[in-house]
Formats: sequence, C-alpha cells, structure tokens
Amino acid sequence: MRKKFFILVLIALIGTALLPAAFRKEDIKVHKLDNGLKILLYEDHNIPQVALYTFFRVGSRNERPGITGVSHFIEHMMFNGTKKFGPGEFDRKMEFSGGANNAFTGDDMTGYTDWFPPAALEATIAMEADRMQGLIFEPKVLESERGVVASERRMGVENNNDSILSENVRATAIMAHPYHWDVIGWMSDILSWKRDEIMAYYRTFYSPNNAILIVVGDFERAKALDLIKKYYSGIPAGPPPPAVTTVEPPQMGPKQVFIRKEAQTPSFNMVYHAPNCQSPDFYPLSILDMVLLNGESSRLYKRLVRGEQLALNVYGGIGETIDPMLFEIYVKPRPGVDLNRLESVIEEELGKVKKEGITEKEYQKAQNMIRSGFYFGLQSNAGKASQLGSTEVLYGSFEKLFKQMDNYAAVKREQVQEAAKKYLTENNKTVGKLIPQGGVQ
Amino acid sequence: MKRLVATTTLAVILLLTPFLGECAFKLPAPEKIVMKNGITLLYLKNADYPLISFRMLVRGAGSAFESNELEGIAGLTAELMQKGTAKMDAEAIAEAVDFMGARFDISAGSESASVVAESLSEHFPRLMEIAADCLLNPSFKEDEFTKDRSKRIDNIKAIKDNPGSAVRPYFTKAYFSTHPMGHLASGTESSLKKMTAAAVKDFYKKYYRPERAIAAVVGNIEKAKLVEILESTLGKWNNPRPAAPLSTLPAFPKPKGKKLVLIDKPDATQAYWVLGAPGYPLGDKITPQADVMNTLFGGRFTSWLSTELRIKRGLTYGAGSNFQTWSIDGLFIANSYTKNDKIGEMLDIALDLLKKARTEGFSAEELESSRNYLLGQFPQRLETNSSKAGTYTTLAFYNLGFDYYDKYLAKVQAVAAAEAKDAAVRLLPETDFVLVIVGKAADIKKQLEKYGTWTEKKITDPDF
Repeated sequence: MRKKFFILVLIALIGTALLPAAFRKEDIKVHKLDNGLKILLYEDHNIPQVALYTFFRVGSRNERPGITGVSHFIEHMMFNGTKKFGPGEFDRKMEFSGGANNAFTGDDMTGYTDWFPPAALEATIAMEADRMQGLIFEPKVLESERGVVASERRMGVENNNDSILSENVRATAIMAHPYHWDVIGWMSDILSWKRDEIMAYYRTFYSPNNAILIVVGDFERAKALDLIKKYYSGIPAGPPPPAVTTVEPPQMGPKQVFIRKEAQTPSFNMVYHAPNCQSPDFYPLSILDMVLLNGESSRLYKRLVRGEQLALNVYGGIGETIDPMLFEIYVKPRPGVDLNRLESVIEEELGKVKKEGITEKEYQKAQNMIRSGFYFGLQSNAGKASQLGSTEVLYGSFEKLFKQMDNYAAVKREQVQEAAKKYLTENNKTVGKLIPQGGVQ
Repeated sequence: MKRLVATTTLAVILLLTPFLGECAFKLPAPEKIVMKNGITLLYLKNADYPLISFRMLVRGAGSAFESNELEGIAGLTAELMQKGTAKMDAEAIAEAVDFMGARFDISAGSESASVVAESLSEHFPRLMEIAADCLLNPSFKEDEFTKDRSKRIDNIKAIKDNPGSAVRPYFTKAYFSTHPMGHLASGTESSLKKMTAAAVKDFYKKYYRPERAIAAVVGNIEKAKLVEILESTLGKWNNPRPAAPLSTLPAFPKPKGKKLVLIDKPDATQAYWVLGAPGYPLGDKITPQADVMNTLFGGRFTSWLSTELRIKRGLTYGAGSNFQTWSIDGLFIANSYTKNDKIGEMLDIALDLLKKARTEGFSAEELESSRNYLLGQFPQRLETNSSKAGTYTTLAFYNLGFDYYDKYLAKVQAVAAAEAKDAAVRLLPETDFVLVIVGKAADIKKQLEKYGTWTEKKITDPDF
C-alpha cells in the first residue's frame, strides 16, 4: 500500500507541475487565411532562432499502385526548382542567410522543416510560399533526383535486412489499404513514375487548404502574420483532395512471411492490426507498448534479451496514424536462434498480458514514461513545432496536444488487458522471419 | 529577395548586420562548484521546464586507454556498471530508471567515459542516488559479464549485416591499426573472447576516479538543493590511493601514400566508402577556418560533395565530410555510397573535388554563405538543458574556457577566402589517405584497379 501511495503522489506531482507556463494552448495564436491555410504561431525568445514548419496532409496513404513513393519524391522535388528559384536555389539561399532545413514524408503527412536566424524570416516565408504551388519539375532535374531516391531505397531497404523483412510483413498484413506499401515506394515505381503523374499528384495535394504553417521561436507575431499574409494570400485554394476510402478488411487467420537471404543474423517481426490514433483503444495500446517493449525493464526485453538471451534487441509498438495500422513487435534475434521458439516465447508473454493484465506498478511506469517523453520532446523550438503540426494533421486540431496527457491518464489499468485481448489475437497476426542463407552463422 | 543577393557590398553589409547582433548570443557561463571530494561541478539554473540534466565525463575511462589485447573493455565496463551494484541488481536498476521515465546511460568514448542522467525535477534526487550507486559500487557479477560479452560478440555480426554501419569500424581499424585510437568501443570478436570479469574490475578501479571527473547540471533546481543532493550521492566517491598518471597517447599515424581496403559483401547492391586523412586537435586555432572550409566542401546540404554527387548527378542519397577532433589530434573524414556500377565515377569526382578545393579554393560569396551558416545554426546547439550541460563538460574537459564559443564565433565571422583555401591545402588530402569500401567485390573491383592495390577482406572474416 505504501508503495502505491507513493506512486500516486508522484503522478499527481507530475500532472500538476508540468506544462511550462509559457507553452499552453492559449499561447498558441491561430489564424486562417481565406484560402484555407491554417497558421499556428508561438513566440519563444530563448534563442535567436525560428523554426518554421509546413505540414501537408499527404503521404503514402494517398498513393495508388504504380505511383507508390511519389509523395516522398515530391518532397525531394520541393528543393529542385520553381519558376522563381532555380533547382537548388531554395537551399543555397536559405543556407546563405544562415538557415538550414530538412523535410520528411510519412504514411499520413509530409513536413518541411526550416530553422533560421530571425533576420531570414521574410526570405524563408517567401520561398516556402513560392514552392507551395510553383514547382516546375524540370525533366533533367527530375531524372537526377529519381537516382537519389533509388539510392535512398537501396540504403534504407535493400541493404538493410530488418527493413526488407518489415516491408514484406507490412505488405502481407495489410492487403487492401494503401498502408500496404512503405513510404519509399516499390523500386519499379520509383524507376517509372511519369512526369505528368507526379505533377498531377502535386497539384492535387499542395494547396493552402491542405496545409498547416507553424512558426515557433524568436519573432514578433504581428510582423510574422503580415508577412505570411503578404506571401500566401495570393495562392488560390484547391478543390479538397480525394478522401482515402479503402478500408482494410478484417484479417481472418494468421499469416506468415519467410525471406531467405544472405546474412549472419536473422530478423524477426510480429505484427497485429491495430486501431488508428483517434480510436479510444489507441491509449491503452500505447500503455501496453511501453510495458512490453520500452526500456530494459519491459517484459519482452527482460525475457528475450536478458532472460533467455534469444535476442540482441526488441522494439516497436503502436504508431499514431490516421487510418488503422499495426501494433508491431520487432526483434533482432541472435545468430542461430530458432525463430519458431522465439515466436512461441513472445506468444507466451502476450498470453500472460491477455490472461492477467499488467501490474499497477507497470501501469504507473508506463504513464511516467509517456509523460516524461512528452515533455522532453517539447524543450526545443523544433520539438514544439513538430508536435503542433503532427497533432493538427493526425487529430484534426493542435489543441488535442494539450489534452494528450489527460487522455493517457484517463486509461484504466483493466483497459490495457481488454485491448490486448481484442487486438493481439491469433487471427489478427502476421509473422515474418528472415532466415540467413550462406555466410557464417 | 534583394537581401539575399550577395554581389554588392551594400547587400553584404545589410545581411551581416543581423548576424553581428546574434553573436551576442552567448553560452551563459556556469557557476563552478568544487565538491568536497574534488569533483568540479558546473551549474546553471533553468526554470523554464521541470527538467534537470546531469552530464559527467571521466577522463581516462575511454577505449584509448585500454590495452590492445582487451580492446572494447572500456565499453563493456561502462555497460556493466549499469548492470548491478552492491544494493541493486540489473533488473532493479532498469526498473527504477524506467519507472521515473528517466534517461540514464554510462558509455565509453575514446578519451573518457560519459554519464548522462536526466529526468523530471521531482525524480532527480532518486535518479542521482542510482547513478552514484552505479558509479561507486558496481558489482560486476560474473553472470552479467558473460551475458553482456556474448551479446556484444553477436552484435558485431549484426553490424556487419548492414554495409552502411560496417564501413565505419573497418575504416577506424584501417586508419589506426594498433594505435589506441583505433580501439572500437564495441570490441572485436577476438578481443571480447579474451576478456574476463576480473579484467573489467581492474579497468574500473584504475580509470573511474573522482579527481578525473567533470560534471555539469542544468535545469530547474536551486544551488543549495543540488549541492545537498550531489554531496550525499556523488560526494561519497573517494579513492584511497593516488592514481598513477594517465599514459600519454602516441602521435596519430600519418598515412604515406594511399592505403586502400576493400571489404567484400557479396549481397550489397550499393558500395559504401569512407576516406580519411590527418586533421587537427580539438580547440586548435585552425578550427574556425577549417569549419568555414568544410561547411563548403562537405559539411552541409549545398556543399560541393553533396552538390556534385547528389544534387547534380543523383548518384547517392548522402555525401559529406567532417573533422573529428580529440585532445592530441584529429581526422578529416569524407564518405558516401552509390550503386555498384557507379563507384568508380563517384570516387573520381570526390578526388577531383579535393584537388579543386586545394588548388582553386572558394569564392568570396561562398565564404560569406559559409560564415552565415555557421553563425546562424549555432544557437540551436545550446538550446536544451542537455546540450548546455554537455557543452560545459566538453569545454572543461579540454580546458577551453567558457568563452570559447564567443571567441570561436568572432573568428568564424572574420575568416577570409584565402584562409579557407589555406585550410584546404593543409587539411584536404591529395595522395596520402586511407580509403575503405564495403561492397560487392565482383561488381566493383574492376572500377577500383586504377586507384592502386587493394587489401581485400571478406565481411564474414572475424574482426574488422
């Protein structure tokens, strides 16, 4: 009892004392332009730097067979020339003014991330606004960039056995929904996207009404808003992009994938269909994810890495996605390990959760891990901008960010067991095994 | 837009003015506290977040101070210190740290071991108790030793399955050979087999000492409270005997001619390479010039390497270069990768660029861009508690002074084209370098013949 009391006190302390006074929902200033562009502004003068993030509601989820990977390719082309700025000029100008940038594409969103000194605010806004609809897709540049993305796939997938396996497992588990393919796309699609297909896709999804602009850091709100209006107001709204209507049908029995490939170590995946992030079941499954897979005190780490020494590492869990995706268990098995045995040990551990649930201490631990991770992530301008943008895309409003900790805290311990029983079932499971061929084992 | 055009003097002045202002952004000087047992503690309060970061470096507890025979023992020691003390076993430590949602890690670098502990403010006292227990009373139990060693041996095989991660340790070995800076924190299959729990204990006793530790704390905590917490935890760390002085590291090897090593990985669809040559020590006076030069050569997205290999030709997803610096010397490193049939073309371009930088140097406009970039991106390096605490320990470790970056930024601002060229002439290799490639030998060997004679190894051969 004493321990439990101690734990509850800790939770209470964390719950009340946490959000930095300056980063509250009320401090985020929201604007919407007539063309539909949503703008979130948050001033923070801690360091002389601004993070300007643009999120588009487009990712590999919006693709179709034949053009897989094209969302990610457009992300690359966004640095490769508009009518106003030639190929590469975006980067040259930004770096010249002391800024740096990057971009990322996911299943559900594409994000453009700029970090620069306050003096470069106008120049950056001007260039971001320009490339929202101004790309020219110069054929020679497009072909060169195709090579870059092919190299990225070779690095990220073909020369990485764990990724080869997870790509196969995902495509086996998810049959109908576009989450079937990875963000990078299939190699044959990468090598054959046509320029007009790419441009049509860009025109469909790159419009102000499909974007969110977030500015965090050392700037003055009124001035920034004026600049944003100046450069973005003239961009016309587009028709709403087509909705993704495909729904993954329920899986009706276990699936397996085997890969035989030259390697010294095997790879292993076990995945279950899981709900999207707006489902109430998402929160208990996130807690389960912590208990099973996060940290050296997690159940699977203790059993597989430390106890039976079958694995070098375990990781995975549930991701925040717009449509239902997967609860994933990735294991890096040790060389020579019997993968069937590995599978049955994991089954045994999942069986325990389904039968007995998680302990009170595990429940509190998961809550603490989620909370501290959340606040560690909000320390920088970049972290704040990224959380605001992705919450807006995934949950429909950035305001949900400030409710997330309450949503986790509201989960009852028993709900974790119920969620495990509901989702981690035999019929809902896909297992992948990469079995080393040749080499030394 | 005009502000970005750098061809007129006026534009240059307009653009530089805001940066001069930004250089006023300084690393706040920490308060220096000397603990009763001699540990130097650098402290800065930050009440913006309910978080506290602790960082510590222990001089000498890194892999460069191991014997060649027991390469990797520093890494193994650091890991095992978290796997049991007189009071807590490995499970209890992991359980306690995870329960707080805290971050705690002890790891070995080359010249020091590093301790990172950070948590929500409320948990900090308990976290420091655990961290100090691991530092002061590790039990080094035989079963934990056996477990960790066998995991490390298997992990080397996992590293070798991925050519992108394997190329770096192969390079380190090729460059340093038996020099202590060539010790891999991961160890090698052969060295791990020779280790014993007793040897780990010896390493710990010899190299983990309070008088060689430098600590920093940044976060939401008052000084008096912090001193109280640390005196009752780390403050108990005392050594009865004076330490033997640390050995001096021998001078870094300097390649004479080309040393070429090819690692055959028959299933690789891309060839991964690392090229290295002598650099300079951390804090050396050439640093600002070298940084300005390397930013242009391979240090950012629009650098020469990235422009020629990625942006213009689409040969690769990534290409870059950097300087790695330690107390007595450093390295210049360039690296990239491309599909098997393009490796010759790629290397020709990279070598031509090295030559071009040495012979032609950089334009005034490039210089300005590089200076602006280094100045503009600098504040981010000191944004969080953790990065401030890390910077404090590094500056103290290398005795550079807390105004080091103020001086550095002022110098960066003044680097001229001729100085950048001088840095290129001095630091970018022409004929003397080490080049290591991991790839499918059958597909790439022909393209490599023109560079000279290659030493060949198979990826499945033990060690690196």
